[in-house]
Amino acid sequence: MEREQVIKKINGLGKSIMKNIDDMESPNVSIPQRNINNITFNKSKNLLELGDKKSTRSFMNVAHSKRFMQTVLIAGKCRELVERDKTASIRELYYQLKHTIADSKENTFEDQSESDPLVVDLETMLGTLREELHLKADDKGTLIGNIVIEDSGDFIDCSKLGRSGLSVPSIVEHYKFQDVNADYVLVIETGAMFDRLVEEKYPQKNNCIMVSTKGQAARGCRRLVHRLNHDLGLPAIMFSDGDPWGYYIYSVMKAGSMALAHESRRLGTPQMKFVGMTMDDIDTYDLKKVTENLKDLDKKRISELLRYPWFQKKEWVKQLNLMSEKGVRIEQQALASKSLEFVAEEYLPQKIEKGQLLP
Amino acid sequence: MDEKVEERRADDLFKEFKETSITEFFRKNKAHLGYSGSIRSLTTVIHEMVTNSLDACEEAGIQPEISIGIKKLGNNHYLVRSEDNGPGIPIKHISGVFGKMLAGTKFHRNIQLRGQQGIGVAGVTLFSQTTTGKPMKIKTSVGKGKVNEIELMIDISRNKADILSNNEYSQYWRGTEIQCELKGVNFTLREQGPFEYLRRTAIVNPHAKITFTDPEGRKTVFERSTDKVPKPPVEIKPHPKGTEVDDLVNMSKITDGRKVSSFLSSTFSRMSNAKANEIQNFINKGEAPFDLNKSPKKLTWAECEQITNAIKEIKFLAPPTEGLQPIGEDQIRNAILNILGPEFEAILTRNPTSHSGGVPFQVEVAIAYGGQAGRNIGEGRKVEVMRFANRTPLLFDSGACALTKSVNSVEWKRYGIKDFDNSAITILVNLVSTYIPYTSAGKQSVADDEAIMKEIRMALMEVGRKYQIFHSRQRRALEKEARKQILMRYSVELAAGLANLTGKDEEKILKKLNTLVLEKLKLEAEIQTLEDDEEEETENGFDDKEGENDSEGGEAENDSGDEESTEKPVEEVEENGA
Repeated sequence: MEREQVIKKINGLGKSIMKNIDDMESPNVSIPQRNINNITFNKSKNLLELGDKKSTRSFMNVAHSKRFMQTVLIAGKCRELVERDKTASIRELYYQLKHTIADSKENTFEDQSESDPLVVDLETMLGTLREELHLKADDKGTLIGNIVIEDSGDFIDCSKLGRSGLSVPSIVEHYKFQDVNADYVLVIETGAMFDRLVEEKYPQKNNCIMVSTKGQAARGCRRLVHRLNHDLGLPAIMFSDGDPWGYYIYSVMKAGSMALAHESRRLGTPQMKFVGMTMDDIDTYDLKKVTENLKDLDKKRISELLRYPWFQKKEWVKQLNLMSEKGVRIEQQALASKSLEFVAEEYLPQKIEKGQLLP
Repeated sequence: MDEKVEERRADDLFKEFKETSITEFFRKNKAHLGYSGSIRSLTTVIHEMVTNSLDACEEAGIQPEISIGIKKLGNNHYLVRSEDNGPGIPIKHISGVFGKMLAGTKFHRNIQLRGQQGIGVAGVTLFSQTTTGKPMKIKTSVGKGKVNEIELMIDISRNKADILSNNEYSQYWRGTEIQCELKGVNFTLREQGPFEYLRRTAIVNPHAKITFTDPEGRKTVFERSTDKVPKPPVEIKPHPKGTEVDDLVNMSKITDGRKVSSFLSSTFSRMSNAKANEIQNFINKGEAPFDLNKSPKKLTWAECEQITNAIKEIKFLAPPTEGLQPIGEDQIRNAILNILGPEFEAILTRNPTSHSGGVPFQVEVAIAYGGQAGRNIGEGRKVEVMRFANRTPLLFDSGACALTKSVNSVEWKRYGIKDFDNSAITILVNLVSTYIPYTSAGKQSVADDEAIMKEIRMALMEVGRKYQIFHSRQRRALEKEARKQILMRYSVELAAGLANLTGKDEEKILKKLNTLVLEKLKLEAEIQTLEDDEEEETENGFDDKEGENDSEGGEAENDSGDEESTEKPVEEVEENGA
């Protein structure tokens, strides 16, 4: 989207609020709802989509007053950022806007947890992307592999970054992919497993790019995997813990999240496949002794996943039910019970070779 | 000589015996008569004096002006003085009023009088005399030019006034002044003390002006809030139901009736010859039949018991209610506004009904909030329950009293009073009846009676509902103020944000925003008032079941009102999570 267009959209918001005031109406904005009631799963595209239910945030409603005021402050700051062509992190935004309200002990924002969701509100409300509003989140995620990326005129060879790899920024729109020599992208949940595979020289030996999400994937990470898959046609494979949380990270990578359903199209990678850990691995690789019992919270999460429309594929229903039946979860690093090299030399290459992947 | 000596001795002994018997009577019954403990004794003295004055003024149709003064003379030693503008006491009655124990005219008069409590002002004379050995000083005049100043004591041996001095002089003045010294009493500002007694007396006697000077010299004037002197209560015959055996025995001794049957029909209301015959039939069926044609003077206790048993089984017409004299809602309101100056008050006088199968009674209740309502306990206020029986404050034995129990049986939380005990609220309950069933002769607490407790409860619930409406209105006003504060505070930030967003002038935006907020709040308040009025209408309609048929017309009106009021809130659709 062009900068002028973004500014026009932000200005439109200001005008509509000013019109409310001139008409002696309560100043209000209308925000698409971002909860399960307004999310649909598009089976053919394998993506979460946002419905058209909206809620109104009105200044005269004291339950909304503060958030309404905060939303306007953020919109104003974004307009300033876009006009000055500066990009701020959402943490910087929080500090830029935080101050004490006159004649009170109250701050405009008490905590960053107050401003972060409002940034997403503004994105959905205006139909713009975060980066178009010149905002970015903190860096999270790492990439290593045989790819050269051009970033603002600099060339980064991601195969020559030692063991640390490239830290994935929150905005990757400006990345230009140069030399690529890889067969697929392996997305890894934990940093520890990523490190193990780096040490075993897995990317070199298997000719792939590795990305670590370090827990739930940030937007930058998701957008980058999407682009590697979409722009370069590289297959993407997920490798996570065998528990409901790992499986959910996979579903977010693949189909998108509820909170950012409006961006699923850009952030999701519908063609992604899943290599492990599966419940079947426990028997196949004789890992019974290194499983861990499910906690109440895990069980609760399993039944939640079973209710999500995008988990209704028979393979996934089977995995989740198996997990409930066995009452256990299995971590990626449990494979170390065989040997440190086992994961890199046997488990992953064999499963990927044979195509033992879940959809 | 010897014989004479012996005679004298016998005479002395007899005299001594009589002397001890009446002092003994007083000593034994002191507690029952209100003279127990140093605090209560003093309150009882004040009660006897004030009651005498109020009753006398009312019977003469005079607006009472009473002043009471207490002076400390020493440790547990006080001088009490009371003065009224009453009709005065004719000299020939003075001895009877002040000097004769149990001569009170109020005993066995089936009339709603304050004086049902206590033994009358003669008890004060005796109490003063036995504790200090000093006489009662009385100044009185009926206003015809002669004033008498009298000093008297009770001649215990003869149970008669002994007038020590009588100074008569000419002056045009009307009223009665009493002065006496007391020992073994103690003045306190606590709930059971004279001040509280007079404050409460003033509340239920809005036609009286009462001035009180305490031992510290502090003067409090409870002004009258109405000029209307209540009509003296009409004496009515007792209703057969609610008559106890001992009442019947006592009455049978003083009747002029020659036969029991005529004694019954002439003494009781609703007692026709036919009803007397029914009693006869009932007795005939009993174990020891007797003839109602016998002389009432010859009735034995057992026979009286048979008669009262018969009465319990026989149906009688409900008693006449003209003997009851409630204070009235307007009068109570005036008094409460005058003395408590509350932010809110609700008063209710229920219709007369009967207890114990036939004794007429009536209940009056009030609730007051804010101002001087509630008991002042230094830091803040606590709830205060004022109990009255026939306008007389009941200050003692509150725990055992049916009035207290009725108040506590109400679920005050339902009416928006979260912490009842610690609220600045005064609850007033006045029980009006020709016969009040006290728990004991101390007459400070009413016995549990289902009919009475139910009436009080119902009445309290009704005023409770009124309080609730007031309370929610008040709460809304507070909420509205809080909302205004919040909106005004955020407006400043919002205006700055909008200025940044639109590039327009911040000052102008803020001005517009403030106008908007104030206008919106005003509009909401108006709609709320409309809704409240509707609420109250339906509330009233609720009690009035006969009004149900009229509801068709009313509903149509309500509909149009609802539409108007729902129009606004639509704007503020709740945000379903972000």
